[in-house]
Amino acid sequence: MTPAGIRWIIFAGLFAVVTLSYLVVVDFGSLSSPEVQKSYDYLENLPEGAVVMVSFDHEASSLPEIQPIALAILRHIFRSNLKPVGVSLFAEGTAIGYRLMNKTAGEFGKKYGTDYVFMGFKPQQIAAILGMGESIKNIFPEDYLGTPVEKLPLMADIENYDDIEMVISIADGSLTVHWIEYAGAKYGQPVMAGLTAAMITSYDPYLSSGQLFSVVGGLKGAAEYESLIGRKGGGTRGMMAQTTTHLYVIVLIIIGNIFYFRSKTKSGAKQ
Amino acid sequence: MDIGIIIAGILTLAIFTFLYRDNPIYRLVEHLLIGLSIGYALVIYWQTTLVDILFRPLFTGGKPVLLIPLVLGLLMFSRFNSRLSWLSRIPIAFMIGAGAGVAIPAMLYARTLKQVSASVMPLIDDGGFHIEALVVALGLLSTLAYFYFSREHEGLMGKAARLGTYFLMVFFGATFAYTVMSRMSTFIGRIDFLLTDFLRLIG
Repeated sequence: MTPAGIRWIIFAGLFAVVTLSYLVVVDFGSLSSPEVQKSYDYLENLPEGAVVMVSFDHEASSLPEIQPIALAILRHIFRSNLKPVGVSLFAEGTAIGYRLMNKTAGEFGKKYGTDYVFMGFKPQQIAAILGMGESIKNIFPEDYLGTPVEKLPLMADIENYDDIEMVISIADGSLTVHWIEYAGAKYGQPVMAGLTAAMITSYDPYLSSGQLFSVVGGLKGAAEYESLIGRKGGGTRGMMAQTTTHLYVIVLIIIGNIFYFRSKTKSGAKQ
Repeated sequence: MDIGIIIAGILTLAIFTFLYRDNPIYRLVEHLLIGLSIGYALVIYWQTTLVDILFRPLFTGGKPVLLIPLVLGLLMFSRFNSRLSWLSRIPIAFMIGAGAGVAIPAMLYARTLKQVSASVMPLIDDGGFHIEALVVALGLLSTLAYFYFSREHEGLMGKAARLGTYFLMVFFGATFAYTVMSRMSTFIGRIDFLLTDFLRLIG
């Protein structure tokens, strides 16, 4: 069989495994990792009306993994009557952030301007993060829709990071590092992250040193968070597929190694 | 059904045709994605940077001081003319100088000092013996030994460097596994979209 043929079989197998996994409903229980539990507990214990900043620092291409995390955290925020201020330091995350905030706010009957705001995108991330430490209104004189900040009741009492309990950076790259290095190190602002799985190991040193408060990572993190808030979504739905695809990859690795050692033995016998 | 969902579903299926082999439909959608991403970013940057921060405050907000960044920005375009290209060094020097001034203290503190202090943990305290502190110390010293090239990797130094490679392999393995998990999640997310929103096969 040609390499292209083998590749086609592998992809077709993966497609079948994922699709069939959606037809089998298995409850994986509510076991959550310490990091996800820590994130949940922090937001759960904030007083009603506390302000958190949610920064959508990701591309559109990572949406399948990012969206379940963002939705779970936003639903928890709105359910707990916290007041999120949405921003974006990545151009592609702007419209996505606005859509996700509006969607979840609508589910809880929250009013724009009073219960939540979305300030939009700001280029030059480092300058924007440092500038918000002095004055958020100077960096965002108007919101995403062009409304002057003075006309947004939620922003009336918010001057800088002193009025923000937590920055939650939803990211698929290194932008959360900027939050840690500039908002965290310079202004002492606690930073939480919602990350794609590929980025988790990059942030482990910051997590171990305490510079990063906690992480909700990957589809698994989203599923754990959904379980904690008691509302299943894309994360929980994807966990069965995630498990079976991992088993599929393990089986492929074993088969690959069997063929490798068989070919090695044969070539050794010929010599 | 929402027109956006229909378009997204068709485009997702078009991208999946690459699994069979490279084809014009896949190429078309790939180019569409790149064009849309760049076009969207350009519009956002134009509005939030040039219009909101520069043009509006400068021309209607009475802030003539903004002529300085405007001129500095325009000097960047001097690179297109070989005789005038030296002028672009002025804004580049400003950007590098300001960038380094902001970044060096922050990175020194966050990436070096805080990380070093977090690496130095007591092996034994009131809570007993901490195996994780020993693993961190061994991993840190042996990995540093691997990247220390001023001395031959022989004897104790060689053994330490060898141990360092094992720690590095564990790190690379974990990173690769998380990356595979992430890519699988992306694929699962698209299948989830196709089955729930597009085809409505599951609720």
